[in-house]
Parts: sequence; C-alpha cells; structure tokens
Amino acid sequence: MRAICAIAKKEILSFFFAPMAYIVVASFLVMNGFIFSVILAALSQPGAFSASPMAVFFGGTMFFWIYMILMAPVVTMRLGAEERKSGTLETLMTAPVSDFEVVMGKYLGALAMYVAIWLPTLLYGLVLSRFSKVDWGPVFTGYLGILLVGMFFLAAGLFTSFASKNQVVAAILGFGVLVLLISLSVLSILTTDPFWKGILEYVDLWGTVQDFGRGVVDSRHVAYCLSGAFLFLALSYEALQARRWK
Amino acid sequence: MIDVRSLVKRWGDREAVSGVSFKVGRGEIVGFLGPNGAGKSTTLRIITGYLRPNAGDVFLDGKPVSQDSKAVRAMIGYLPENNPLYEDLRVREYLEFRAALKGVPRASRRKRIQEVLEACEVTDVADRIIATCSKGYRQRVGLADALLANPPVLILDEPTVGLDPGQVVHTRHLIKQLAEDHTVLLSSHILPEVEAICSRALIIHEGRLLFDGTLADLHKDLSGAERLVCGLKAAREAAEACVASVPGVEGFTLLEESGGAARFRLTSAPGKDIREALFRACAGRDIPLVELTQERVSLEDAFLSITTRDSGAEVPA
Repeated sequence: MRAICAIAKKEILSFFFAPMAYIVVASFLVMNGFIFSVILAALSQPGAFSASPMAVFFGGTMFFWIYMILMAPVVTMRLGAEERKSGTLETLMTAPVSDFEVVMGKYLGALAMYVAIWLPTLLYGLVLSRFSKVDWGPVFTGYLGILLVGMFFLAAGLFTSFASKNQVVAAILGFGVLVLLISLSVLSILTTDPFWKGILEYVDLWGTVQDFGRGVVDSRHVAYCLSGAFLFLALSYEALQARRWK
Repeated sequence: MIDVRSLVKRWGDREAVSGVSFKVGRGEIVGFLGPNGAGKSTTLRIITGYLRPNAGDVFLDGKPVSQDSKAVRAMIGYLPENNPLYEDLRVREYLEFRAALKGVPRASRRKRIQEVLEACEVTDVADRIIATCSKGYRQRVGLADALLANPPVLILDEPTVGLDPGQVVHTRHLIKQLAEDHTVLLSSHILPEVEAICSRALIIHEGRLLFDGTLADLHKDLSGAERLVCGLKAAREAAEACVASVPGVEGFTLLEESGGAARFRLTSAPGKDIREALFRACAGRDIPLVELTQERVSLEDAFLSITTRDSGAEVPA
C-alpha cells in the first residue's frame, strides 16, 4: 500500500509539473464550458424539449465522447512509455515493489488526475442551482458514470502505455482502442438482429453514460465498466510481469 | 553474500551471458571488469531482479532471486548503468519518492535523506530540478538513492562514468568507505579504478567469466614467464654469449645496442628468478652489468591478454 501511494503521488506530481497537464485541463474546461453554455441556450429556447441540462451534458452530446477519447490516452500515455524510454523502469522495478503495486500506483495516480480534471465541472451544477432547481440525484449518478467509464478508459490507456516505448505511439494506440470501444455503441444502434442487439446493449458505453446521467444505475453497465477496467489492468500487469522472475 | 550460479542469458540466438558463476563474500568489495558489451550489465540486471535469465539462479544471503525477488531487492542498493532518473522532479522530491518506495519509515525519512545527501555531497543541489543538474551531480544522486534504505549489498554499474577527475576520486573514496560495512560489487571497464578500490576482480568477456581472483593473482597468473631487462657493457657478440650461458634463461632478445653496451630482454620459466645467476655469469666473464630491471606486467596488459586470449589474438608484450 505504501508503494502504491508513493507511485501514485509521484505520477500526480510529474503530471502537474509538465505543461501538458495545463493544456489538457484548460482546453477541457474551455470546451466543456462552451458546450454547457450551448446546451443551456438550446434548452432555454421556446419550444425546446424538456430535459435536465446536466443530463444532456453527461454523454448527451458527441463532444463528451470526443473529449473522453482524447483525454484518457493523454493522461495515461506517459505512465509506462516514459519509464521505458528514459530507463527509469529499471530503478523502479529493482526497488522492492511488486508489479501489482506498480500497476495500481500508476492507475490510481491516473484516476486522481482524471478526477481532478472533472472536478471543476461541479461548478456548472452550482451555477445552475442559483437560477433553477437542480435535481442532485441524477447529477451524482452522472458523475458516477463518468468515473466508471474513466476507470475503463484509463486502464486501457495504461495498458497501451506499458506496451510501448514511445508516448505518442502509446497515445495513438490508446486512442484506437477507445474508438473501437465507442464504435460498439454505434453498432448496437445500427444492428437490427435481436440476438446481436441484445449482446451489444451490454457494451453500449454511449447508452451507459446517458443512463447514468438520467439517474439510472444499471448493474450491467457497472459490471461492464469494472470488468473492462479489470481486463486492461490484468493485461498491464502481464506486460510488466513478462520480463521478470517471480 | 552474493552467490551467482551458472547464469545464462540469451538475446535471440546471441548469448550475452553464458554460464557465469561466482561468489562475493560478506564485506568484500569486488570489481566486475570487462570490455563494453561483455555481459557485465546483463549479469548485474539479473542479480537485481530486473531481467530473468534463461538458466541459472542467484542467491543473496541464501535467498534465491528466482523465488523471492522482492525480498532480495530489498537487500540491494542498485545504481544502474547510465543512471536513469526522473528528470522533472527535484533531487529531494526524487529521494523522498525513492525512500517511500523502499519502505524507509516515514518518521526517519527526512533524516535519512539528509544523511545520504551529505554522504554523496549533493546537499547544494537538493532543491534543483534533476534535469538541470550536471552529470556529476546526477551520478551522485543515483548513488544517494542506492544508499537510501541502507542495504547490506551495493551493486554499482560503472559508478564513475562521466565524472570529472576530482569527482572520480571523491566517489572512489566514498565507495571505499561504504565497503567497510557493505558488500560491494561494482562494474567498470577502467582498470586503475578496480585497482584503486577493489580487493578482488572478476573479468568477463563475451559472456564468459575468464578470471576470478585477487589483483595480485591477476598479476602473477598473467605474466606467465618472468621477464628481465638487462644492460651489459660489452660488445654485442660477447654480451650475447654471456646471457646465453646463464642457467635458466629460456630466450633473449636484443633491445638496443649503443655506446659499447647492449640491452636484452630475458625470459625464464614462471617463478624462476635468474637475477643472481645473471650477475654471476657477468662477473665470471668480467662484463659490467649496468642495468637490471624486473618487468612487471601492467594490469592493462593483463586485462588485454586475458580478454584476447580466447579469440587467439596476439598477447601484447
């Protein structure tokens, strides 16, 4: 546990020491602020369909996914690839830490950065609550959905980073994996065959986040995100384990 | 303390390490020598649990690395080749991270970091970002890291590479000091360094261990034949006849001839001292002996001759 904390803390430090963090956070806030104001403007027009702005904000638009697909690999790309490239993997792996601790430390560090990036959007809810009544239940579950999808995506990004020596390659690989995951949602919309549709509904991330945004916590969605995260964490562990003794 | 047993490491079909075995006793300071690419770093990486060998095992204090690598790693302070560091952290931040990683108790962490900063003389850059530190400082930060958890075994891969002469002397001094209560295995391709610090040397070449013994052994083992340079004040023919008559001389070569004197290099069987016989022979013929030197094989020669012996190259005189 001590090693996990130490590694997570070091990753967070390194992340915020690099200019990349500020580019990611700033562009994230600018873009989401813009999208949020567009959503508000659209919803306050006469004759607009009635929906909670926060629900539309969480996964209701394309922008949300574009940003998710780009952000997760950028947060994780450094974690493994940089260690490998600079040779610090050697000092890390020859310290008395287990591979499990290395994977978990890096993963929790990434998750903390992800949460830190999302945290300021809580302000949107606060701003809204000044002008109208906000139903905090769906907002809460919306954030839960974002956390779960983030756990899935960051694990995938961590794996691609452990699998390559170059940050850019790691990010592009991660990007590819996430596009593939999202396109399963599109498939589930396009498919008419009931058998395949039934299966694809389980892996429909788009629907997952929308459900959470509406306040629906479906255990199938939770299980999908968690097992996806678990799979990629296990793969990351294997990627590290491959080289060493027991 | 360190017991390496028939390690084999293959990269593809090239054998980087082929059947290396050696032991390092508690408190010993051993130099691991070899030309670049000989398999030094690979061997050290296997000992520290970074690489998995194709065959063989390593025991530290009786614990096998293959079974309990984490416990073994806790006993080793390791300075890898090229000394990789996190460039974006400050020196103190880096050491704090490493101390936490190595399980230095939180209460004594600050004190311990200060101790290693002082021991390695990096206190004045403690708050600098590592990327802005000079190579000498970076190397010493790596050494400070190796010392952090006060491990019983230190494995240092080319610890003085890239340091200026003053820093080299300081680092060697520090390592010698550490050797008083640590077991040290350090690799180098610089012979005088090993001569200055170590009591024992291992020589590795093309993945094979070619020599394991004290430096005195190395000198002896190597020279093979005893060599003597002598100068005789006589005409060349008379001088040649004289040295040829000395009992025990196996061969001689004329080095130079000038001013009515001749210099020769004489060789005799290993361990056979012919200086006295030479003196008597000269005295008997009434030829003044004006020069007599025992030729010592330098460690450089020893090293070259050991590492080229296999490949059949000429042994330099």
